[in-house]
Amino acid sequence: MIHLDTVSWRRARKDPAPVLSRLSFSVPQGGFRWLLGPSGAGKSSLLSLLHVETLPTSGRMVVLGQPVNDEQKRATFVMLRRRIGMIHQDFRLMPGLSVADNIALPMRLQNRPEDEIRDEIRSILKWVGLSEYHDAPAERLSGGEQQRTAIARAIIHRPGLILADEPTNALEESQAHRLLDMFAELSAMGSTVIVATHNEALVRRLPHPALFLERGHLVSDETPPL
Amino acid sequence: MSRRSTRRRDGLSLSETLPDRGLFALVAMVGFLAALTLAGACGARALSARWAGGAAQLVVIQVPQPDQPARQASGGVQAPGEQSRADAVQAALVSLPAGSIVHRLSAQELGNLLEPWLGSGLKGQTATSPSAMPLPAVLRVELPDSTLPPATLEQDLSAVAPGVIVERNSLWSTRLHALANSLLACAGLALLSVCGVATLITGLTTRAGLASRRDVITTLHGLGASDGYIAGRFARRTASLAFGGGLTGTVLACVPLFALLQITAPFTAEADGVPATATQNSLTGQDAFLGSMPSDLLIGLGCLPLAAALICWLTTQLIVRLWLRRLP
Ligand SMILES: Nc1ncnc2c1ncn2[C@@H]1O[C@H](COP(=O)(O)OP(=O)(O)OP(=O)(O)O)[C@@H](O)[C@H]1O
Ligand SMILES: [Mg+2]
Repeated sequence: MIHLDTVSWRRARKDPAPVLSRLSFSVPQGGFRWLLGPSGAGKSSLLSLLHVETLPTSGRMVVLGQPVNDEQKRATFVMLRRRIGMIHQDFRLMPGLSVADNIALPMRLQNRPEDEIRDEIRSILKWVGLSEYHDAPAERLSGGEQQRTAIARAIIHRPGLILADEPTNALEESQAHRLLDMFAELSAMGSTVIVATHNEALVRRLPHPALFLERGHLVSDETPPL
Repeated sequence: MSRRSTRRRDGLSLSETLPDRGLFALVAMVGFLAALTLAGACGARALSARWAGGAAQLVVIQVPQPDQPARQASGGVQAPGEQSRADAVQAALVSLPAGSIVHRLSAQELGNLLEPWLGSGLKGQTATSPSAMPLPAVLRVELPDSTLPPATLEQDLSAVAPGVIVERNSLWSTRLHALANSLLACAGLALLSVCGVATLITGLTTRAGLASRRDVITTLHGLGASDGYIAGRFARRTASLAFGGGLTGTVLACVPLFALLQITAPFTAEADGVPATATQNSLTGQDAFLGSMPSDLLIGLGCLPLAAALICWLTTQLIVRLWLRRLP
């Protein structure tokens, strides 16, 4: 469950205008939301906030049922981030690590058994069509391959919340469709999914409620556009 | 693939983030300095201990014209058979604290003592034989530990033998003790500043490493890495580099230390009551080296690489954890 109540966020204390201002919305557990808005509207910023990479400047925020504010212990946020799968707009793969080692990271950081990790990697690589890239260095992949690696890394540990920032912009249409079908499936299985995108064709294909941002303000909620 | 090595594949690539050459070489230099400082501190401590004990309890009494008759103690009975000044002084020393050892130097010992100045002609003399050189009688008094000679010792002795000279070694020994203590304090301060330098070097290296891996650390943090995990990864790396550097520095310092110990061996061995030649003849090579090192210095040198590792580990933990505070 996600709940925001008049949440504002400034990049720095002395910034004149907040990047996100007075956002209020809720997403139930297992819900699917599009996150739409023009470039610079604050979509990536909102996803970072939900990923607890940064804390709200004001307002109340609850992520996966856990209140997020600076009174909480740091360990609480670590545990919370382990339950979230984030696909960054710029992928953020670890250079110097193989595709498999990149994908294994969330599970290794949770000290999951190595044989379990091996099995999960094998099946997820097959699913994203990167089986033959198991040992390839991540930085040598094409944009689309890197994006699929980032997606695999975000979902390998079955997170309760999936945050995807333009997860299909480097993919072919058929791959994009397959990926979004999988997100819909994960959401049906109980994960909350929020996908930021510019791709209107995708939104039309999968009509789910949308959060529409404009210059940091939420201008429409739960209303599929068009 | 071992479990350990897979766990380390997290993108931090610390061998590049914290290159071994820099920290290793710097800690080796610091370790070298620390080993020498430690040797200095041990020396100062031994000196201080020596002057605090033994020598502090020594009193030397000279009785000029020892064979003249002693002055009659005021109001006392006439000494039987005209006691000599030397005997009277010796008798008066019964007032010293119990356990005191009084030794009157024989003519032979006196001769040995004065030979360098007066030549060997003195050796044949006896204390009682008339001589061209009027020699004083010399009494050496060793007081038991933590006792002082009575303040009135000079007065008491002058009463029976005017002109008696009492040399309190404790005066000198207190000064030497103070000197040794200040040397010890200096060595302690030097050791502290060496630790400070090690901390500073580690801090700067760690900060540089953090800055160069900022994105990777932020991503790891986002993937659910705890502060303890990231700080532990950095700290284990700096600590192992520091251990290696500390070990190298200590081993290198052993070369000048060995040379120094060779030079000072005769003094230290004699002071401990063992003839220097005996220790040197019976030991060879490595044994000689280890044997010539005071045990506290040996333990200190052994602990040095561990101390370096500990300092670096703690510093890195602190710096990384503080740095991570910028992320929630
Ligand atoms: N590193 C940064 N430093 C300063 N301002 C930034 C930074 N990153 C983004 N911004 C500003 O913050 C605002 C929100 O940016 P954000 O990246 O959240 O937008 P977005 O909706 O994700 O845009 P896009 O669709 O282009 O990805 C924008 O005005 C942007 O200029
Ligand atoms: Mg964005």
